[in-house]
Amino acid sequence: MQCFLCVFILQVTYKWLSYTLGVHVNQAKQMLYDYVERKRKESSGAQLHVTYLVAGNLVQNGYICHKVAVVREDKLEAMKSKLATIASVHVYSIQKALLKDSGPLYNTDYDIIKTNLQNCSKFSAIHCAAAVPRTLAEVSQAHTSAQIDSQTPNDMQVASVPVTNGQVPSTAKQASQQPKGIMGMFAAKSSSKSQDTHKETKPESKETIGVSTASSKPPAKGNTMSNFFGKAAMNKLKASSESEQAKEEREVTKPSVPAAEPKLLPTTTVEKPGKKTEPVKIQKKDRKRAKRVDLSDNEEEKEAENLKKKRRRIKQPQSDSSDNEDGPASSISQEDRAPTPSPEPPPKAGLEPASTEVKASTGGKKRKRRRVLKSKTSLDDEGCMVTEKVFESESCTDSEEEFTKAKPASLHRQSTAPVKKDPKEDRRGPKKGAATASKANKQVSIMGFFQKK
Amino acid sequence: MFSEQAAPTAQGLLAPPSAEPSTFARAPVSTYTDCTEPFRLGQRSFSRQYAHIYATRLIQMRPLLEERAQHKWGSGIAMRKLCELQAGEKCCVVGTLFKSMQLQPSILREISEEHNLLPQPPRTKYIHQSDELILEDELQRIKLEGTIDVQKLVTGTILAIYGSEKDNGKFLVEDHCFADLPRQLPMRGPSTNHFVLLVSGLGLGSGSGESLLSMQLLVDVVTGQLGAEGEQSSAAQITRVILAGNLLSQSTQSRDTINKAKYLTKKTQAASVEAVKMLDEILLQLCTSVPVDVMPGEFDPTNYTLPQQPLHRCMLPLASTYSTLQLVTNPYQAEIDGVRFLGTSGQNISDIFKYSSMDDYMEILEWTLCVGHISPTAPDTLGCFPFYKSDPFIFTDCPHVYFCGNAPLFSSKLLKGRDGQQVLLVTVPDFSATQTACLINLCDLSCQPVSFSGFSADEDEGDMEIGH
Repeated sequence: MQCFLCVFILQVTYKWLSYTLGVHVNQAKQMLYDYVERKRKESSGAQLHVTYLVAGNLVQNGYICHKVAVVREDKLEAMKSKLATIASVHVYSIQKALLKDSGPLYNTDYDIIKTNLQNCSKFSAIHCAAAVPRTLAEVSQAHTSAQIDSQTPNDMQVASVPVTNGQVPSTAKQASQQPKGIMGMFAAKSSSKSQDTHKETKPESKETIGVSTASSKPPAKGNTMSNFFGKAAMNKLKASSESEQAKEEREVTKPSVPAAEPKLLPTTTVEKPGKKTEPVKIQKKDRKRAKRVDLSDNEEEKEAENLKKKRRRIKQPQSDSSDNEDGPASSISQEDRAPTPSPEPPPKAGLEPASTEVKASTGGKKRKRRRVLKSKTSLDDEGCMVTEKVFESESCTDSEEEFTKAKPASLHRQSTAPVKKDPKEDRRGPKKGAATASKANKQVSIMGFFQKK
Repeated sequence: MFSEQAAPTAQGLLAPPSAEPSTFARAPVSTYTDCTEPFRLGQRSFSRQYAHIYATRLIQMRPLLEERAQHKWGSGIAMRKLCELQAGEKCCVVGTLFKSMQLQPSILREISEEHNLLPQPPRTKYIHQSDELILEDELQRIKLEGTIDVQKLVTGTILAIYGSEKDNGKFLVEDHCFADLPRQLPMRGPSTNHFVLLVSGLGLGSGSGESLLSMQLLVDVVTGQLGAEGEQSSAAQITRVILAGNLLSQSTQSRDTINKAKYLTKKTQAASVEAVKMLDEILLQLCTSVPVDVMPGEFDPTNYTLPQQPLHRCMLPLASTYSTLQLVTNPYQAEIDGVRFLGTSGQNISDIFKYSSMDDYMEILEWTLCVGHISPTAPDTLGCFPFYKSDPFIFTDCPHVYFCGNAPLFSSKLLKGRDGQQVLLVTVPDFSATQTACLINLCDLSCQPVSFSGFSADEDEGDMEIGH
């Protein structure tokens, strides 16, 4: 106790002492008093200035007012004499220098409280049984009911849980964990077909997975994704998984979940809740969601169709470099227009974006909507390194694909085919089958159209 | 109250450390019922006209007033509507009061191009000698003259007047009466001393730190950190804290960023952001120790019109994890330990203050209770939601404690009603100016102010002044 005063401080308040030593406030006050008494007896020459807290009754304006005041030692007796009844007197603080005003006392207390916010009543003399922090489940329920009342589900609200989603959110973690999982997957993988599909699924999944989705998803996602990749999921992916991936990706984007879904993916269960959140999201994203709802109607056909659609969506934005937002919308509509039952090779969608793309299945499951600016480097089919800064916006892979496609598209614009046709053609291109997978992965280009034709 | 209990052990802590410091358990609230349902708005649609409020107000209060009128002037008096009036006949009419004020700010006059008027500067009071009173009922209106205090009354009051119509078309008033206090349910208060602390006008974010230490002292007393053992055990009997509005200071309301160019203000944060963070920390300290009810006020981030909806919990992430934090509406009504509380953050009283000759907040508070309506000037001069089904500001039953926040001074009064009602009226002072809070003892309905102070360089002796 003595060392505190000598070493540090300009001043020690009872509260500061209480928190620092971890003692009851009353003990801290007594310790201060004890110290003062001893030091003064020693008369070591070091001048100590003490402030006291005085409380008591006082008649003011015709009312008996209970006064609580911090006073300097020299004013203590004066204050005590003013009070009709004295309720308490104790040492408030000790300082080396004479305090002109009580501002610094407040600052000391404020600082110590700030560092101990979570247990600010630990050393107090009163304990309240009712003051227990709510558990996360209660918080989420409160939020859910509040949401129903407010009629505007807030997607970005950290603790809110969409009514449809029965899981307890820990939304803050989701966003961070998901990228980790995704990034982990990507870091491990070199570009490959499956990777391409992953990439596609990833942006999709990322976009569809909003902040408000269940917390279980991100951790699960990260795990499953890495599991997925670690276990030679690649093989699966390449083969039949592509369709499944696409399917999963589709699922992410579509409100209803086809039953067939990710058998591969361990995150199946996670995905389902993710799907459930879809309806909630739909409210928010009118255009895209509506389209996705439409898409979901056709779902059955559809793995192939999903793949195809996905690919179409991916390819289309290539030509529409300008409009990020419209891209997915138009791509979706175009997809609607030309569904083909043939199973499609994984959505190469020309999305080379080497890096960060979707990890196939798991990406698809989590519908996270996120806007992430990423730099993607890809090798297009002319052997040029294309780096693009991609803004992945909400809807699945859409925006991402758009961006990535936009870049490569610009390279191919020289060809005479009208830009607008590209998406369609590109879509049909990828439809053609696994054989074209490699090409599709690299870059959606007009050449693909010509080749198929 | 506090002091008497605590006196014996007052100097107990001026001693070497004792072995076992005592801890007191917070007196639990035995019953708490939140009665703010009428003030909570679900769907808010502003597409309706405000005339409906007046219509429902009159319909709801007419029976009460007719009963009062008959009680006061005899059951044989004639109750007439304005359309049935006959010149010279003594009768009683029930209607809504409208005071036409020359100085009342009128948006129409302001934007009128004919007059080329500058907007009127804000005044403390808008009353004028030439104000006139007009009584309106469902169909007609008539000017009032006679023994009626024009300056005191405000628009929106429902009253019954007794008199007769004169030849010049005006009504000569001989007497008038109000709805008076409604019936009161018996109070089933606690048997031991239980206290409720009322604070208002914390005024965070004001940039001046004068009241910060006092606020910290307040929190410390309530949470049991400050004071000797006797005081701490008394503080343990505080079962609830009600923060009655104006948690943020008026200076957080500055809107100059609207006038400045965007590039200048892009990175600036609104003053209220910092203030709300401070509020969150203070509430966290309080919530870990005592149940707190937070009412929004005039300068708080919630809607402007009455009834103000509770602050949103997302603004208070630290404190809202505790179930002891209750975010409530303004006006606020609740039953705490069998005692019925009703109060506002003071906008209703201060609005009446502007348009009436009454100067004392306590007088106005009492007057609103006698008139039977929390805020008669809404929606005329005070913003209000366009109700149409019912007017939630009408007193349905008499509270045991009726308070208003952000008053300039503390005052309390025990009002006794005609039918044996007992109401404790409290005007809670603005803490940032007076550093005073109110402590209400639920056992015997008494109220004591509690004031806090530090010391500063410019004081000769102690700190005995009320507000610093």
